[in-house]
Parts: sequence; C-alpha cells; structure tokens
Amino acid sequence: MSRPNLAEILDGRKVVCCVGSGGVGKTTTAAAIALQFAVDGKRVLVLTIDPARRLANSLGLESLGNRETRIDPKLFAAAGLQPKGEMWAMMLDLKLTWDELVTKQSASRAQAEDILKNRIYQTLSTAMAGSLEYMAMEKVYEVASSGRFDAVVLDTPPTSNALDFLHAADRILGVLDNNAMRIILGPMLKASKVGFRLLAVPSSLVLKTLSRFTGAEFLKDLAAFMLAFEGMFEGFKDRAARVNKLMRSPEAAFVLVTSPTPLTIQEALFFHGALKADGVPTSAVIVNRVQRDPRRLGGPDNPAALREALQLAGLKDENELAQRLGKTLTEQATLADLDRREIARLEGTLKATPLFTVPRLRKDVHDLTGLWQIDNCLFAGGE
Amino acid sequence: MASALLDRRLLAITGKGGTGKSTITAALALAASRRGKKVLVCEVVANERVANLFGKPASGTEIRLLLPNLYSVHVRPREAMREYALMILKYETLYKLAFENAAARYFLSAAPSLAEIVMLGKVWWHATQEEERGKPRWDLVILDAPATGHGLTFLTVPEVFLQLVQDGPLARDMRDMQSLLGNPDTCRTCIVTLPEEMPANEAIELHKALKAHSLPQGPLFLNGCFEPRFTPQERVAVARGGPALAAAGEAADNHEARADLSSLYASVLGKSVDLPLIKIPFLFDRVFNAQAIEKVAGIIEGAL
Repeated sequence: MSRPNLAEILDGRKVVCCVGSGGVGKTTTAAAIALQFAVDGKRVLVLTIDPARRLANSLGLESLGNRETRIDPKLFAAAGLQPKGEMWAMMLDLKLTWDELVTKQSASRAQAEDILKNRIYQTLSTAMAGSLEYMAMEKVYEVASSGRFDAVVLDTPPTSNALDFLHAADRILGVLDNNAMRIILGPMLKASKVGFRLLAVPSSLVLKTLSRFTGAEFLKDLAAFMLAFEGMFEGFKDRAARVNKLMRSPEAAFVLVTSPTPLTIQEALFFHGALKADGVPTSAVIVNRVQRDPRRLGGPDNPAALREALQLAGLKDENELAQRLGKTLTEQATLADLDRREIARLEGTLKATPLFTVPRLRKDVHDLTGLWQIDNCLFAGGE
Repeated sequence: MASALLDRRLLAITGKGGTGKSTITAALALAASRRGKKVLVCEVVANERVANLFGKPASGTEIRLLLPNLYSVHVRPREAMREYALMILKYETLYKLAFENAAARYFLSAAPSLAEIVMLGKVWWHATQEEERGKPRWDLVILDAPATGHGLTFLTVPEVFLQLVQDGPLARDMRDMQSLLGNPDTCRTCIVTLPEEMPANEAIELHKALKAHSLPQGPLFLNGCFEPRFTPQERVAVARGGPALAAAGEAADNHEARADLSSLYASVLGKSVDLPLIKIPFLFDRVFNAQAIEKVAGIIEGAL
C-alpha cells in the first residue's frame, strides 16, 4: 500500500497537536491517538481543554484542573486491551496555569502576589482572547520538557483563527511588554529611588483623551499592572521562544481534524494555509464522521424494486415500507455524496498531506472501546 | 410565545460552533420580516454568512437590503471602534491623536475585550436607534453572536467592563447596554444546539451561565433532528431480507441510530434546561440556500 500510515507519521513525536475548528471531534481524536500510543508501549499524556463529560467520567478522570491522572489499567482490561505503555490524561485549568507561570517567573513572592491580585491580570488570565491558547502551549512545553512522558497529545481549544493559536503568546506578551505602552503610561509612572511610583492623575493630552474613553481608574490599574510585571518579561519571552522552537521542530506533529461539512472543510483549508504560512507543516488530516454510503452493499434503491425484495423476503403488502426505505436510502446516499465531494475538495487542495477518514459511528464515543474502534480506522488502514 | 419572541427589540443567537447559528438567525429574521417587521441582522464573527444564505453578496460594513424588510450588516472591530470613539470624542482630530498613533494602538489592544465592547456597542446602538422621537429605526435587531465560550464573553462584556471601569462615557453606555440585555421584555438570548453529546452539554452549561449572568433567554433550538421512521419489527424483517435489502437495512439502522440520539438529547436538554425546545429537522438539501432557510423559517413559525 503506497499510502503512509498514521503510526509511521507520528512515530517518534514528542508532541502531537490536534488542531481544527470547534465540534469536529478533536478531543476524541486526541484521546484515540493517545490510546494507540499507550497500546504501542509509550507513556503518553493527553492534555484536553473541555472533554466530553461522559468520556472523562468513563476514563475515571476528575474534573480538577491541571492534575495528571493515569487511566486505570482495569479499564483497558475491560475493553479487551493490553497496553504495553501507560495512558494519562489532564484537563487544563486556564487560571491555574497562568498563576503557576507567574509564580514561577516572579523574582519574589511579593511580586507574584502583586500580580495575582491585580484586576487587569485577573481579566487577562481568565477572559482575554488568546489566553487559553497561550497557556495550552505553555503547559505542553512544561510537560514535554519535564521528561515525565514519552509523548503529549494536545487537544487544542476551538479557535476559528489558526493564527490566534500559534501567535497567542506573542500577542499577549506584546501587550504586556511594549515600549509604546510605557511611553503612553509614562506620565503616570514617576521614577523614584525604589523604582516607579504610581501617579493618580493622567497628565498628558493623549492620556487624558484615552481616559475620557475608558475612565481614569482603568489607566491606573493598567499602570499598576505594568509596574508589577516589571522585570519579568525576559523570562516570559525566553520561554515563549522555546515553546515556538519546540512546535516547529520535527519532534512536534500537527494533525488537522475536521468533519466533512462544507463549512468545516472551508475552515480546515484556512487552518492548513495559516499553518503553512507560518512554516508549520500539517502532518496529517483526519476527517471524522464521514457518512458511509449504504449503496456500497449493492441491491436496489428504488421503492418498486425494494417492494419486490420485501415480497421475496416474505413480507407482503409492504408498499409503504418500501417507500420509506427508498427515501431513507436516497437521503443517506445524498449525505455520502456530499461528504465525498467535500473530501475530494480537501484532498485536491492538500495534495501532499496524508488524509485519513473515520466513518460516522452510530453512537457517541465515550469509552476506551469506542476510542479503540476509531484507532482501528486510523491506524489499521481499514474502514 | 413565538410571536412574543419576535416582538423583542434584540435577539442574540449563540451556541457551539457548527450548530447552525447563522441558519437560525437567518430563519428568525425571515419569519419576523414576513410579519411586516423591519429587521436588521448584525454579524460579528470574522466571516459574514447570512447574506450568502439568501443568495446575496456579503453586506460588509454598510447596511444592505437582502429581502423586503430584511437587512444585514457586518460589524467589524476596526470600523466599529472608529465610529464609536468618534461618537464619544466628537472631534476627528482628537480621535486621530488618541487612536491613530502607533503607541495608542498597542495600548488599546491591552484593554481587555475592547473589540467586543465596541462591536456590542454598535449592535446596541442599532437596537436603540430612533428614526424620529419614539419610533425605532428597526423593529427587531438579530445578533448572530460568536460561538459558546466567546459568545458568553461577548454578551457579558458590559458586566466585566463595569467591574474594571466605573466612570467615563463608555461605562455609562455599558450600563445602558447591560440593562437592555438584561430586560426580558426587550431582549432574549437563544442557544442553538445539536442532538450530540458535546453540543448538548455545552448548551446546558451555556444556559446555566446565561442564567447566572441574568441574561433572559428565548427558546432553545435543537437543530438537525431525526424522527423515528421504522419500527423494531420492520428492521428485524428487513435485516432478514438478505443481500437485496442489505443497503436499505443499513440505511434504516443509521437513520434510527440518529433518531435515538435526537430523542435522547431532546430529553436530556428538556430535563436540564427550563426553556421551550424547538426541534428543527435535519435537512437533506444538497445546497444550503434561501429555500432551506424558508423551510426552517416555516418550522419556527409553526413552533412559535
């Protein structure tokens, strides 16, 4: 078979990032990849943002944030699996990750506390756009460089903009540390012996104008925040640079996950383009929930022929049932055609990137058995 | 109850990505315009979609007529910021001084959620704009809000902002905005979801969060539902029918699997969410266009 298989593509990777728009099955795919790694003998951690509750429950995961939890070997046995490695999972807690990072990077306890209680920091660490993406990468780096695991599989937050994801750190650090802001806020920061001191009243015209817009309190909070962060930027930047380097190294793989609807395919193409523009190759594309075409099984699809087949099967006077069967067959053939068309569009654009499909399963996946079913589609090459 | 829904001044439509928010937005707008209401659809996400659903070119930042009584506009942060800042600062030169210098632009990107603030501000301005005294320019403004997480951030922006800033013209407007969004007589937020585990869970979480933020909600839209079509006996009989019925049998089984999920999540949602549930059937249209929107609008009208 000329098609490369997913196991080869992901072999030796320390980090696997599952990227894609919301609702395409990233969490399930990330868990399925991690399961395959564990079965093959790796000690693997799947880092997820907001897992399906039933999947989390069935894997015995606590909802407590940032705790590495091992999936109980008994669960594998119950699913008929004998992993040679270990599967661990963790749910990312945004605020906790920020707090840990600030505490680690602060020069003193007092500096850390000043930052942690600042109102601007609290908004930044819980609500600012890009914050979750930044912290997800940060956590991956922390785990990957700790040596505790052979591989980390990341289920990324649903971002409609791929650039947000790779540039989140730059963007947020750009906000935290830029000379422009110092120039603007400068008049509020008065140099004193022990560093800077905060002035209560904005004095420059630019500041006065801005304060009419945002209120003076906000400017004061912002200046206080900048003061508190003073001296920490180098550490943050250095770390972000190392995260960037890891993500662009051959040790990291980006797996683009999508579903076959026109909208998500469009977003997947956009994602792929944005990654490429950033110099990050997409290692593989996985299309979830592909409608299987019932016509592959052969047999008639028009009501008259179906009626005959029903009669041959000993079902008499089933005209109405034949109508319903015909309609259902046509509907699903339509869905299969639409999916095929979209996948062809994706393949046509992404020529060199290997593509794998997972059929739409009849039930939601919420245990190891279900994940293993997905692995059989992804890694065994069969449908 | 449905007509009451369309009698509000502002409807915000949110839900997990890919659940069909734009479709429901377009269908609600069509239903309201058919009742003779003058409707404006405001889209705030990066890609404008509603005009295309009606077979019209994208509206951009200018208000465009799509159908009789039905208009749409794409609210973008940059333009919204400029218009909004000008409304407050009054003078172009002052605006340029404060907003169009490089230093200030960095500064503004630090202000949490400023993009959301000005975009919501623009929508609020449309919703409250008067043609003449006492006569609103729009009978109904429908906001196609961002997906779940971001949608909540978007709609709670006034609340978050007011925690940080208590004075200034922006704070005053935010207070007005918050009282509009919080008034069940003028505004409702509607969640759109699918009969699948993650979207249904997110809808439940979002419902709780909106409640906690005192944002009044309209009906919950369960999109893409399948109705049962075959009895178990029929399926057994078809399964026994041999190769000639294999394809039909698989199609029937697939259909019933999705119908089972539809009824499972309808009942899960019914138990956890105290809102009326409007089921929208799955549409098999090859092209999602104005005809499909017509169908959905018809279903919503029937349900209301």
